[in-house]
Amino acid sequence: QKVAATDVMGKLPEREKEYDELVSYVENVLSADGSGSLYISGPPGTGKTATLQRILNHQSFVKKLKPVYINCTSIKSVGSIYKKITEELDLKVSGTTEKAYQAAIEAYLQRKHKTIMLVLDEIDQLSSSKQTILYSIFEWPVQPTARLILIGIANALDLTDRLLARLQARCELKPHLIQFLPYTKQQIVTILKSSLEETNSLARFPEAALGLLAAKVASTSGDIRRALFIARRLVESAKKEDRKGNLTTPTVVSMGHVMTVLKQVYGASQTLANDLEEGFPLQQKLLICSLMLLLKHGKNKDITVGKLHDVYKTICTKRNIQAVDQTEFIGLCSLVETRGIVRLQGKKEPRMHRVCLQWDEEEKIPPM
Amino acid sequence: SALQPAGTPKRNIQLSNIIEECSNGRRVSRLLELSPKKPQPEQMEEPKTPKRSTRPSLGTTGSSATKSTPKSASKMKLIRDGTIKPTIHARSAPLGDGANELALARERLHVSATPSSLPCREKEYEEIYNFLEGKIFDGVGGCMYISGVPGTGKTATTTAVIRALRHLSEEEHIPKFDFIDINGMRLTEPRQAYVHIHRQLTGKTLAWEQAYNLLNKRFTTKAPRRTTTVLLVDELDILCNKRQDVVYNILNWPTLATAQLIVVTIANTMDLPERLLMGKISSRLGLTRLTFQPYNFRQLQEIVMARLAGMSSFNSDAVQLVARKVAAVSGDARRALDICRRATELADDQARQTGEQVTVSMTHVQQALTEMITSAKVRTIRSSSRMEQLFLQAVTAEVTRTGIEECNFLGVYSQLEALAAFSGVSVPNPGRAMGICARLTASRILICEGGRNDIFQKILLNISTDDVHFALQASKLL
Repeated sequence: QKVAATDVMGKLPEREKEYDELVSYVENVLSADGSGSLYISGPPGTGKTATLQRILNHQSFVKKLKPVYINCTSIKSVGSIYKKITEELDLKVSGTTEKAYQAAIEAYLQRKHKTIMLVLDEIDQLSSSKQTILYSIFEWPVQPTARLILIGIANALDLTDRLLARLQARCELKPHLIQFLPYTKQQIVTILKSSLEETNSLARFPEAALGLLAAKVASTSGDIRRALFIARRLVESAKKEDRKGNLTTPTVVSMGHVMTVLKQVYGASQTLANDLEEGFPLQQKLLICSLMLLLKHGKNKDITVGKLHDVYKTICTKRNIQAVDQTEFIGLCSLVETRGIVRLQGKKEPRMHRVCLQWDEEEKIPPM
Repeated sequence: SALQPAGTPKRNIQLSNIIEECSNGRRVSRLLELSPKKPQPEQMEEPKTPKRSTRPSLGTTGSSATKSTPKSASKMKLIRDGTIKPTIHARSAPLGDGANELALARERLHVSATPSSLPCREKEYEEIYNFLEGKIFDGVGGCMYISGVPGTGKTATTTAVIRALRHLSEEEHIPKFDFIDINGMRLTEPRQAYVHIHRQLTGKTLAWEQAYNLLNKRFTTKAPRRTTTVLLVDELDILCNKRQDVVYNILNWPTLATAQLIVVTIANTMDLPERLLMGKISSRLGLTRLTFQPYNFRQLQEIVMARLAGMSSFNSDAVQLVARKVAAVSGDARRALDICRRATELADDQARQTGEQVTVSMTHVQQALTEMITSAKVRTIRSSSRMEQLFLQAVTAEVTRTGIEECNFLGVYSQLEALAAFSGVSVPNPGRAMGICARLTASRILICEGGRNDIFQKILLNISTDDVHFALQASKLL
């Protein structure tokens, strides 16, 4: 009854090509009894970690490989990655310094051992000022007896080129790049179908609704987590209606449902404009209006809180509204800031903070 | 010490000895003559014995083994293991119930007195309830992000939902679940979140690294009889450091099928996921978002009236005035309740003076509002000395002359000279004028840059020039 967010063990639809590429790469390395390094990049929610988990659990590799999976967000500081690796490899270390751990790993790589598959997830967390650690890690596979497959995973496309420029100098050091592209519309449809089939709720989704959902997600991010999430929400609401109405035939997700959920999810500022009607305090409205007035007619676009307060006070006295004093006004500004409408910049004196409009002016005029 | 050869100076004088000697009322010089000639062993031991006996015992077993460990260390161990619970001294006798109706109203209007049902938040309540109930039923994890300006009932609604769900699970209508809450503001450091989560799960206090490892093991390994855990993270923005590893981990666990963790995060900023969090984190945070709008005046009125149900001590027009005033500024329920409380206090004062029953009326509310709203700065200017007022006037004159908000001391001083000559007072010398300037800076009416720039220092007005004029009109300087 679930649409699980990540389906780790099972097959990943639409990632077969990358999976096959990875498998053949690992097999090549294994058959040559050598070592290699890989860098996998792609935006969030494109199945990088899930694919890697499949590789780690691959039948034919389990016996030949020693898998080490480390998520780099879990380490204390950049240097303690060595300690983590030694712990995963069960090495005995004499000493507790970073150097000692590093030396222990390098000594282990010299000895005879099973091929290690070291997966470093979110590897961009390891970047330090001189990148010494990343360099030393990426240099391990080059040692003749290393027998190490190093796999780094991160979001940035060009991490190795940007951070590790020195690796370019030597061909054998250059990691093999694999890119995970954002899912296209068709791929998202296939994935959604397969996961809906698993949960026996495919009947609820007409083809057109799926297509609309997939097209919308693919056009903005291609993030499968989002698509699965929206699908799950739709199925849940359909089920709720089942419970309410006690119907014999299951409720079908209509195009209208999809549109409302998508609007809720993507049109954040539109819904904000609707909310403005309901419960947006009057003084905050006045604040934004005076800011817009200043932006439109003032010569200087550099608006400070003090100046805004002066304008606001003149407006208030003209309209016969009681104006708030400066301390209160600064509080008002920060309240408006939490709504994401303006941004306050500057560090010290609140009166000297600069006020910047975050929203588009056109977007604000109709609700005002 | 008597066996030591004569003439050898004693080097190992302990600091503790000196302190004990001093505390015993003896002079320190006595200790310096700790020569082999006069050992005085009886007197040396004297200060130690009473100390031992007066030291309070902890109620643990009086064996020699416990004696050897310092008491505080063993106590700390018990605290960390969760065997001793923290207690607080109790009052010797409970306070009597204030029979006064105003006192009762004040008690009910206190912010901490959360009512059993929250008025005007039914829609949000239902949304959170449906989300949590669905997840607990299905046994899956998930995330929710709740935002809204302060005082709009975010935390109160969420805890009310969880209370209701707990009640249901005790009656076995829904599966059991654990509830943990952490608050970003209560942590000294973002990583302490692991320690707090682990302590609420097991009762033990560990270092954060250990706590993290145990939590990670708990959430990543499969356990067939695992119950769902609901984690409420208040003040999420405090947990975001530069690496954002804590937020990443907390939001990554729910995506694992093994964890069965539901995370509800609360923050003020609406666009926090887009503004502050990295792409990979906001992808994990998901899209279940809920925004709490500020209360409008009708809702605020309803909230206050619900708290005062069945009482006649409050005039309904007075409540409406409070509601309208607060709704126009911030829509903060805490603030409305505070103003109402202050109004009851004022009414109470009046009742004590006149000795008759008083209901809270418009005048009390108006008084409470003016207390809150009148600018302290205007009052400060009015009550400051003549020369300070003159100095402020000089600053405003200089600002109008140059047209720039920032002016330097030299310009202000020449204005001050002119003004002083005009009003027939003697001009203070620059040193004393600087003293005046420093006093005004200390009360934050002016802003001066620090350092020793003397006559070249920059001066900024921290209130608007209109306010200065307004304040000075009363003192007939203008």
